Amino acid sequence: MGNTTGYMNKLFAVARIKWTCIIRNASIMVGPILTVGMVWMYKVLYGSMVDGELPPILTGIILSLGISMNICMDGFMMVGMAIAEEKEKHTLRVLMTSSVTGAQYFVGSILFPFVITVAVNFVVLLISQVSIEYVSIPAFFLISVTASLISCVLGMIVGICASNQMNASLIAYPLLMVFMMIPILGNMSEAVRKVSGFLFTGVLTEMTDCFANETRYVVKPLDVAVLVGELIISVLVFLILYKKNGYEKD
Amino acid sequence: MEQNVLLQLSHISKRFKTDLALVDISMSLHPGEVLGFLGPSGAGKTTTIKIITGQLRQTSGEARILGTDSTNIDASIYEKIGVVSDNSGIYEKMTVWQNLVMFAQIWGVSNARVEEVLRQVGLAKHRKKQAGKLSKGQTQRLVLARAVLHKPKILFLDEPTSGLDPATAVEIHKMLLDLKAEGMAIFLTTHNMEEATKLCDNVALLHKGEIVEFGSPQELCLKYNTNKRYQVLLDGNEELVLEQNPENIDKIAGWMRKNQVQRIHSCEPTLESVFLQVTGKALSA
Repeated sequence: MGNTTGYMNKLFAVARIKWTCIIRNASIMVGPILTVGMVWMYKVLYGSMVDGELPPILTGIILSLGISMNICMDGFMMVGMAIAEEKEKHTLRVLMTSSVTGAQYFVGSILFPFVITVAVNFVVLLISQVSIEYVSIPAFFLISVTASLISCVLGMIVGICASNQMNASLIAYPLLMVFMMIPILGNMSEAVRKVSGFLFTGVLTEMTDCFANETRYVVKPLDVAVLVGELIISVLVFLILYKKNGYEKD
Repeated sequence: MEQNVLLQLSHISKRFKTDLALVDISMSLHPGEVLGFLGPSGAGKTTTIKIITGQLRQTSGEARILGTDSTNIDASIYEKIGVVSDNSGIYEKMTVWQNLVMFAQIWGVSNARVEEVLRQVGLAKHRKKQAGKLSKGQTQRLVLARAVLHKPKILFLDEPTSGLDPATAVEIHKMLLDLKAEGMAIFLTTHNMEEATKLCDNVALLHKGEIVEFGSPQELCLKYNTNKRYQVLLDGNEELVLEQNPENIDKIAGWMRKNQVQRIHSCEPTLESVFLQVTGKALSA
């Protein structure tokens, strides 16, 4: 019991440290604010062009843009940049020599970014003006949670590879372009749409497109395979990198 | 293992690819003892600390910390030891208080202890100050406060006063001596020989990864005091340095009989000159 309490105390201490660092880092916090702001702004601007109710195609574009941006820029960048900042300020080693285990650091690091990413996904869904009667909340929740988790693990991979925040951006942006832009461009090209189907962000935007087009979304086996497969792959890549050098290379 | 030994290194060697960083290092550390690892940059001081604290694995030999082989230790060892390196960071955007409270939560330490340590390091009135706005000396005191928050049995200090002004260094030294008096064992690496002389019970002179001399600062200085000399200041401000030989002994005795000696000092070597004599290299190199 005492051990469990001690374990959880350390985990929550890491999460608290991360939370305090993240909310005070403007370059990280701009992500969720920008995502919500852009979705709202597009809704207002497009709304003024079409006199009120948006056509499904525009709702779909707004929704997929917001969700992709959130998954990639928030979970992904928040986690990666926060670790890179710790390396830059020489606090990561301090934390890792204070009896915090690798697993506690992992969970503590992704806890708040994960919650924020899932929450922002719901905010984006609500403000995009999509018709709620066509939204499958359980499917949206499960896919959103899994995609947010993958995004946070990818952020951990970025963090483990980066030596500072600048370096983290350099590593993250190519990945970000692939995971964010391919699903968005999928609306314009059938070939890109096929590729997008094999990305976790693509699964998410395909679902939101269904919501926007007011058609029932049914989870397909391929979608489950993509989400579970990419979660497993990202965790394995993280573990391989962690086994090699820990969180910080000497 | 001898009783009361907190740390025991036996024939530790470390090789990085083709470079030999440590060669056959053996030593032990007891409660209330300050052990100094003295050597220039690149001598292997930080590597030694990393091996002992499980951050690096040795190529050969055995390191036992608090009775456990360093290759078998896990993160829980850090509940019993404190580590301060020359680049230990602080959370600059948090307050001084937050910086300590976060770690107090990790170690299960009460807020009363945080208060106590804050007072001890003289940062109590800066508790609400953003840590990034502290001076270099205050920052180092905060780092030290954090390292001793959980009352570790061994404190590892890697160049704790590197880059600090003399007044702040003196404050840090006083803190370390207080901790030693409380029974904390301190493993100190430094290239500052004055610091080592002042703080350490024993010093190991490290050169190219090898301990070339070991003993108390006084023992070492006396051991290498082979060419005994005396600095004499006579009336009329005449200053002389005289070697110890029968002729000079008579001279000094004569001056003393005539009450002409204003000041007289023996010129035994400092740790710096001992290091230079043993290795042919200066400590600050």
